[in-house]
Amino acid sequence: MFEIELCGDGTIRLRGRFDAAQVEAANKVLDQVTESRVLDFRDLNYISSAGLGLLFAVQRRLADRGQGLRLVNLSPHLHEIFSIAQFDRIFEIG
Amino acid sequence: MTREFAKDMRSLGEIFDFLGDFSREHGLSKEVEFCINLVAEELFTNAVKYGARGSDRVLISIDEDDGRLRLELVDFDAEPFDPTSVEPVTLGGTIQTRKAGGLGLHLVRSLVDDLAYEYRNGTMRVKVTKQLET
Repeated sequence: MFEIELCGDGTIRLRGRFDAAQVEAANKVLDQVTESRVLDFRDLNYISSAGLGLLFAVQRRLADRGQGLRLVNLSPHLHEIFSIAQFDRIFEIG
Repeated sequence: MTREFAKDMRSLGEIFDFLGDFSREHGLSKEVEFCINLVAEELFTNAVKYGARGSDRVLISIDEDDGRLRLELVDFDAEPFDPTSVEPVTLGGTIQTRKAGGLGLHLVRSLVDDLAYEYRNGTMRVKVTKQLET
């Protein structure tokens, strides 16, 4: 199960398992993001390189406009994956 | 435990269910289950993206013995692709200069203790081993 939702306050909430089969669904929402947003990972329990790759592409596109994604509520497992990928250097986390 | 899966991204849910059953039967922690899910996905998606030739099935095996976890993916009709020979990805740099590719193998190498590859008569076997913490 995977869900991605743009909430009324502008936060984007991700839920479930963000694997390679979910990239297309995630991209439909993230492709619309044109300014800085908070991504709430509170209910996200898994991400693989496919999900990381999509987030990277969005961050790069936003950075070109001086914008960016801020990631909040990462579980320890997700935090470790972001650290191993050194994505904690290119995303604001917390 | 061994199971055959269609070489299609839509198999990922079945693969996670298979690994989840194994994790529960063997009392593995959520952290270890997360790790084997991720490693299996990265190896499987490589097989789907780069290994497709004729066969549309892969075998995934997992077992645990004396605190060592072994996971193997067998692709019976694959193009040679040796993940152990791939140069480590460069992680430094800024968002604009950094390359996006190569993360999957980097994650696998970081999360397991050993990564082995064998290619013979069109069959590719990739095996990873992870020492479980006691």
